[in-house]
Amino acid sequence: MLRRVVVTGVGLVTPLGVGKDVFTRHLFGGLSGIRPITLFDTGRFDAKLGAQVRDFTPQDFIRPATLRRMDRLSQMTTAAARMALDDAGFQIGPHNRDRVGVVLGTCFGGTDVAAQFGKVLFTDSPRRANPILVPNVVMNAPAGHAAIELGVRGVNTTVNHREVSAETAMAYAAAEIVRGRADVILTGGGDIISEFYFNVLTHFHTLSPQNGGMEEIRPFDVQRNGTIVGEGAGIVCLESLESAEARGAIPYCEIAGWGLSAAPAGPNDWPTDATGPSLAMTRALAAAHIDPGEIDYVCAAANGGRRSDRLEAEALGRVFATPGRQPRISAIKGSLGEGFSSGGIRAAAMALSIQNRILAPTLGLFQPLSPLNFVLKAETQVSIRYGLVNGVSSGGTFAAVIMKKIG
Amino acid sequence: MEQNRVVVTGLGTVNAIARSVPEFSRALQAGRCGIRPVTVFDTAEFRTHNGGEVQQFAPREMIPRHFSLKRMSRADCMAMAATIEALNDAGLFAVPDKLRGEMGVVIGGGAGGMLECEAVYRDYLLGTGRGVAYSRFASFCCASSADQIASQLRIMGPKTTFMTACSSGATAIGYARDLIQTHMAPVVICGGTEPLCRITYAAFNALQAVDPEYCKPFDKNRQGLSLGEGSGIMILEALSHARQRGAHIYGEILGYGVSCDAHHMTAPDPEGAGAALAMRRALEDAGVSTEAVDYINAHGTATPANDLMETKGIKTVFGRRAYQIPVSSTKSMIGHTLGAAGAIEGVVAVLAIHHHFIPPTIHHQTPDPQCDLDFVTEGARASDINIVLSNSFAFGGNNTAVVFGKFTDSGVSHA
Repeated sequence: MLRRVVVTGVGLVTPLGVGKDVFTRHLFGGLSGIRPITLFDTGRFDAKLGAQVRDFTPQDFIRPATLRRMDRLSQMTTAAARMALDDAGFQIGPHNRDRVGVVLGTCFGGTDVAAQFGKVLFTDSPRRANPILVPNVVMNAPAGHAAIELGVRGVNTTVNHREVSAETAMAYAAAEIVRGRADVILTGGGDIISEFYFNVLTHFHTLSPQNGGMEEIRPFDVQRNGTIVGEGAGIVCLESLESAEARGAIPYCEIAGWGLSAAPAGPNDWPTDATGPSLAMTRALAAAHIDPGEIDYVCAAANGGRRSDRLEAEALGRVFATPGRQPRISAIKGSLGEGFSSGGIRAAAMALSIQNRILAPTLGLFQPLSPLNFVLKAETQVSIRYGLVNGVSSGGTFAAVIMKKIG
Repeated sequence: MEQNRVVVTGLGTVNAIARSVPEFSRALQAGRCGIRPVTVFDTAEFRTHNGGEVQQFAPREMIPRHFSLKRMSRADCMAMAATIEALNDAGLFAVPDKLRGEMGVVIGGGAGGMLECEAVYRDYLLGTGRGVAYSRFASFCCASSADQIASQLRIMGPKTTFMTACSSGATAIGYARDLIQTHMAPVVICGGTEPLCRITYAAFNALQAVDPEYCKPFDKNRQGLSLGEGSGIMILEALSHARQRGAHIYGEILGYGVSCDAHHMTAPDPEGAGAALAMRRALEDAGVSTEAVDYINAHGTATPANDLMETKGIKTVFGRRAYQIPVSSTKSMIGHTLGAAGAIEGVVAVLAIHHHFIPPTIHHQTPDPQCDLDFVTEGARASDINIVLSNSFAFGGNNTAVVFGKFTDSGVSHA
């Protein structure tokens, strides 16, 4: 029997604050999390800015015994998972722990730890490589740590597919609940800013400033000139509707459908036309059994990239083509930076938008590159029946998740 | 909508004992050992020196000329070579135009482009060389293999990459099967790929988990694993789609199960409870009873902890029948290929069904009173096999088990 999936909790460790209350106040209040990077010395780079997670005290969420084994990313994802579970009011016990899972997406994972491990290997000797670092070199460390901390033995999987890792993780998690393989799954994703990949992104001309412009992030704007990095973790607690109802939980919304697609692209590059990203959205719409006109709001992936924002705008224009029935569109990376596996944060933001009837502003957008229905400033009292979280990634991979107001 | 049955219509592999599926099938039956001194990097400074390296890997000879190898890592090339073999085997190369829009790809990853990036990283750290070749990082992410496969074949179905360490490949097969079963795609290329590289080699050595000689799964004197590399790819297809085009059917994916130990990041739950849970879930998903399982392809890494807990887990699930089921570790021949292991072992399971044999556990000399199952230590065994259970257990406590079955028209339950 196929089951319905609802969102019963959210957990957030972000540049706009830790926990849903601070995050809600700051995101919808129009604040930006972008400041000069302090995690490492940016002296030799053109880019100086980033949206770092600040004021995060992992001890508030994680027991000391597990905390000391965790890298920074695992701390953020585990804390967010704990928050999402608490927000859902779900109690883990011996009777249900085999039916609770963790499915996370990460783009870079513990690359910072791998770099640290490799440094000894390459500048000293492999024999001096530190075994303590080994568990956190592996991409699935965050999901494993979360399972140990929460004591849950259900499905535990990590999606490692660039910027759509978290959206794809959520699609996988929802499918597992639909099929009855789990009752509750903490899902979403996270990434951290590290000097190691900052180097690589600089080389690939991903970061603002470019072409002699100012360093800024301007999603969907004609003046955009690259992205600004972000970090953080966003987790949603997905639960079968029957489980939520049985314990009297009030869900934020329902997962109505999802779609995945690909399109030919060069290594780390973008497809030349919008067929691929359009397909993911139309597949999600078909899975949700709705017309494009029924989507009220889109949380877009746009990050200020010259080509990626154009591609996403073209796809949105193609899918939502009926005049007068086009959704409102926000690109919240204007506040949060490009957090790579940011789909979990954006899904949590969508759940909060649906619950609070509020649309997030697109910071940095002044002159839209196309006549889509963009949200420039926060808007309140907006009823959202269906919202779509869009994911696009270099290399030509796309994922869309549709969330629906209940009732 | 009725769920699709999911069948295997093509296989491909490169690994330490074979660069094609027919060669692999012969090598498995001969019990060949592919564990030798590693040559892809200099092991002089390392504690151990052996591994299951793909011998004389020449991607340009295995991948058609019109496919670019530019910016492809060794892991990408192995995955691409195995994919081309599998598609040819399935009669789907070149991919028919009408299939391109819907064909998907799901890969289980590991170190990805690490081997190539290590050299760049060393240059960066030491400030040596002609400058740092950052373009190498285009293939750093283990998603690169699926990206290359999808882009060069120009397919537009679901695409993703799982990274659950040593169970990635098995999870990829399970998810691909789910995508087809639930009508998200009619055909999916799935499997895993893993390169030998210094970081991984140093990591397992730092954990003192590597046997300096070669791995001896389930042997009393086992000292650890042998690292390996390679790729295993299978073409999964909706039965109706395979029938319509008259495809040869190797076997059926009957089900899979996933669990988590929630015990320790690198050590398995010593009682094998997580492993047992994954096996039970796979059998339940497949609708197969414990009585029906003819062969278990074990995770069998040859670490003291894994082999003991896996033996316990099998006993927990199968009870007294555990002693009657042949259990073998093909890692004894090709080493532990980490992210590719579950996928290559999936190819083993399908070959065992198709060619009616049980591959052996080689290097097993001294029985361990605590690991006392039938480990097929005397060499390959001819046997008519209907159902295979394939186990994959990983760092992070990520356990996946997949059930493969002989294809029968009726599809009546194998219970």
